[in-house]
Amino acid sequence: MASDKELSDFLKSVDKRAFKRTLYAVRDEDAALDIVQDTMIRLSEKYADRPAAELPLLFQRILSNATMDWFRRQKVRNAVVRNFSDFESAGSDGDFDILETLEALGGSLASESTADTVSRAQILLAIEAQVAQLPGRQREAFLLRYWEELDVAETAAAMGCSEGSVKTHCSRAVHALSTALKAKGISL
Amino acid sequence: MNQLTHPAPAFDALAPTATLDAMQTRFALRVTARLSERSQDLGADVTERLRFARERALERARATRSAEAAPKQGVTRAGALIMGLAGSGWWFKAAAVLPALALVAGLVLIQRWQDNAQVSVAAEVDTALLSDDLPPKAYSDAGFAEFLKTPDE
Repeated sequence: MASDKELSDFLKSVDKRAFKRTLYAVRDEDAALDIVQDTMIRLSEKYADRPAAELPLLFQRILSNATMDWFRRQKVRNAVVRNFSDFESAGSDGDFDILETLEALGGSLASESTADTVSRAQILLAIEAQVAQLPGRQREAFLLRYWEELDVAETAAAMGCSEGSVKTHCSRAVHALSTALKAKGISL
Repeated sequence: MNQLTHPAPAFDALAPTATLDAMQTRFALRVTARLSERSQDLGADVTERLRFARERALERARATRSAEAAPKQGVTRAGALIMGLAGSGWWFKAAAVLPALALVAGLVLIQRWQDNAQVSVAAEVDTALLSDDLPPKAYSDAGFAEFLKTPDE
């Protein structure tokens, strides 16, 4: 059984990535926060008695299901054509505001020159935008596999698909990202 | 100095599968490292909401654990009080079944008592009819029924 400290440490280690992943999918900050909170509460209520080692996979599964539930609810609620303007604001580079980004960065990077900071912020934002623009399943597989560091079998279990599908999604995501970043002149 | 200056991997379709996988993994890990870097700058309000969410989740976990632990102890104590045999599963189950058995036995007894009462009442009526001077057939006679309805003068 995971202790309070283990559960707390686990949630602390995963919450920001979970929020970002959900934000890439739902493109709504409040909704993403609600989904992450629901996921944490569901995990704590139903699986707090499980060993700490099982928590990452359980969390990812619950998060995926909660995100799917959100999409279903949205579909029922709206029942209209999707609002494409949401995609533009979340995904394109056109809305990039360097002042906002510099404010967010705060004083942690004060030792860097302004030009470096700006360049770095632009690159990070561009990478994030490209990840957000990946097709949903590819992005989910890519982030679970390489960001959450699940193995192929665990990723397949979390996504409810075969291991072969995970490999295909990951490969396509990597190629798409590589091509897109190269086209923008970004090298990693 | 900008750290994002490693050469981009070139995914050559003719490269051996293992090499290709390794290159893909290396590239993917570089991308996710940048995502991790970016996710550290979430803003105070988002960080605060995530902290609040974590605390609520931990509270729920504590509540769930204590709720699961409490009834277990209560039942054990109750069993020990009733049976005087704490920890004996068989006796504990038997003690739980006893009230149900007592209820069923009581219902069967009530049913039998009611049946007996109905039989004795019917027997009394039959006895009264048969022992009377008037034959039972007279009650089905229309003229006699009319006679009974006629008021006494």
